[in-house]
Formats: sequence, structure tokens, C-alpha cells
Amino acid sequence: MKRLTTHMTAMLMMVLALLLAGTASAEDKGYGKQKVVYHINYDNPKKQAGAMRNIQNHINAVGAENLDLKVVLHGKGLSLLLEPEALKKTKLKFANATDEMQAKISGLKDQGVRFQVCANTLRGKKIDYESDLYDVTKEDIVPSGVAELARLQAQGYTYIKP
Amino acid sequence: MSQRWKPGRLEEHDLHALLDGEIGNAEKVALLERLQHDDYQRNELCELRNLKEMVKTAYDDLPLPPSLQAGDDATDHSRTGYGLSWLWTTAASVLAVLAVIVGTGLERGTRPEAARMVLLDPDGKGARPALPGDEEMRIVFHVSGDDPEKSDEILHEVEEMLTTYGAQGRKLRIEIVAHGRGLAMLRQGLSTQKEKIAELSRRFPNLTFVACMNTVERLSVEEGVIVNLLPEAIPIHSGVAHVVKRQQQGWIYIQV
Repeated sequence: MKRLTTHMTAMLMMVLALLLAGTASAEDKGYGKQKVVYHINYDNPKKQAGAMRNIQNHINAVGAENLDLKVVLHGKGLSLLLEPEALKKTKLKFANATDEMQAKISGLKDQGVRFQVCANTLRGKKIDYESDLYDVTKEDIVPSGVAELARLQAQGYTYIKP
Repeated sequence: MSQRWKPGRLEEHDLHALLDGEIGNAEKVALLERLQHDDYQRNELCELRNLKEMVKTAYDDLPLPPSLQAGDDATDHSRTGYGLSWLWTTAASVLAVLAVIVGTGLERGTRPEAARMVLLDPDGKGARPALPGDEEMRIVFHVSGDDPEKSDEILHEVEEMLTTYGAQGRKLRIEIVAHGRGLAMLRQGLSTQKEKIAELSRRFPNLTFVACMNTVERLSVEEGVIVNLLPEAIPIHSGVAHVVKRQQQGWIYIQV
């Protein structure tokens, strides 16, 4: 009987621990759930680094679990993901995907951020996403960045241009 | 307003027709050209537009059942050419009263405010509701910088969207609001896209170019610049206030 009680206590503790862990991971930090789209169409590396910082701060405030965050890149904005070695091949003026920037982008991706790349810009600026851009796959390509911004907003995403 | 009318000036009903999009592009160009040389009437046009927007906003704020809210707003119902402002206003009020009667009739037993909240915030997340597939997509582009590469790209994208939506028979309305340094896009002397803007305006009646008159005034007062706008540009008092209002009305907002 005594063994059974210890057993049950242990199980209860485990259930409690699981429950606590569950609430901790889906902790509402007072902002509720958010769907947000960030818009980047400029190539100033400082401004882009600032935008990445904004996004990290946003995640910290709301919690990655509560946030569905997309970054739409088009026009000059693609320079964020352009690797410096590829700059000359393309029609972009900046290639900002340095090692440091790549680490930031990778960190944001680990927290669920999706980077969407405009196919019109890939064509217009002569960019090959497989060889020139940092960590971009077919799933990240959208036909038009502008149309994607409109589509996401129509789906209830809030628009932010840092 | 009417006592200030003098020969050579546009009649008030011309201004209304202009605002309500009832006239063809060629005539619109001619009217706007005449307005460019007439500060007083340009202001009058701004005032009229503001008045219409206010009526429209007030109308938007009425508690309506979803069946009515899904349709378009007051100005679209009254786009049949009321010449005089009192007639227009009366018509709008009648519509508004009717809407309330119909609204309360249909919504009997439920609280209109609650119905409205469901419509504005269906998943309770504070986000804007998703557009149903058949609803008109309305996008306002806010151009505040003078990078020709960006405005070029936007015109290209806008053209593509208008063409695609047209081909698919989907409804789309686009406004391009130029303000601050962005006004360069709509200035005779500075625009690098004059032909493109003229061509797009001709091809797409659902595309409007809007110029901020605050910027025009500031340029003339502070820098002594006489601003000549492209004939396609519709003057509005404040570009910033306009894009804010559009967002409040549920338009999608994209900053260029």
C-alpha cells in the first residue's frame, strides 16, 4: 500500500511537472498571439541589421510560440541574403549576408521566422537563389513580394516596415 | 461656396463627378489641368473630398450586419451622379437611415456591437479579419521617399497585379499616395515615370495617384518651388491622414 502511494505521488508529480512545462512553453506574455509581416525593400546594411534586431526584440517580447512572423524581401531588400562573393554576378549594389548577418538570420529562423524572397526580383537582378543567397530553398520563393505583402495582410497579418 | 463661382471655373457638379470617378480619363485630365491653375478650386476639391470621406467614414461606423458590411460603402452606392452637394448628402443620409433600419431589422435579438466585433476580430486575436475570396482587395501604397528604383519597381508590381486581377475577374482597387520626398514621382519636372503613370492611368480606372497638398504648400512656402503635378495626380489635403484613414477603412497598407 505504501509502495502504491509513493508510486501515485511520483506519477502526480510528473503530471504536475508536465503541466507546468506546458504552460511555460505557451506562456502568454500579455500580447496574445500575433501574426506579423515585416517588409524590407532597402539595402542599407545598418538599417537591415536594425530590422533584424527589431525582430529579435519582438520575439523576446511576445514569445516565439505566440508569434507567426514572416519577412518579405523584394527589390534591394534581397541584399540581406546575398553572399558577398556573389555580388558581382548580380545587379544588386550591396551583399549584406556576412558571417555575422548569417548567424543572426539563422538564429531568427531557429525561432520560427520565415524569410520570403520575391521571384520577380530574382529575375530582374539576375540572382540565382541556390548559389547566391544564404540558405534559401524553393519553399521560400514567392512570385511577387508586393502581392505577398497584400496577401498576408488580407489573411490578418499586421504590417511592419522597420 | 457657390458665390465664389465665376465664369471659367468648374461647376460644383464637375468637382463631384471628378471625385466620384464618373468621368472618363480624357475629361479628367482636362479638368485637373484647369484645377492646377486655380488654388481656390483645388482647395474646394480637397474640402469636398474630405466631406465625402467623413460621410463615408461615419457610414462605415454604423453597426451593420455582416451581410451589409461585406458590400461596399456609401460613395459606391451613390456613384450615380448627384450633382449638388445637398442632394448628395441627403442621399447619403437616406441610405444611412435605411441601413440602420435594415440593420436593426436583420439583427433583431442579437447585439449589433457584438456582431461587429465578430466581424472585425473573428479569432479574437486583435488582427484584421481575412478577406473572403470574392471581396474587393484594396491596397494603398504610401510613397514617402524619392528613390526612382523603388517607385519604378512598385509601378511594375502594381501593373502586374492589376493585369492579373483583371484577367481573373477579381476586384482590386489601388491608390498610390505620394507625400514628402515621394511627391517627386508625381511632379512634372522630377518624375522619371511620367509616361508609365499616364499609361497605367489610361489602362486601369481602378488605379488612382494621389498627391499630398501639404507637401506642395510646404515646398512653395519654404523653398519657393512652384510645384506642377502630373495631370493624373488627384490632390488631397494630407497624405498622412489619408493613408491612416485608408487603413482604418480596412485597406491593405504597403510603404514604398
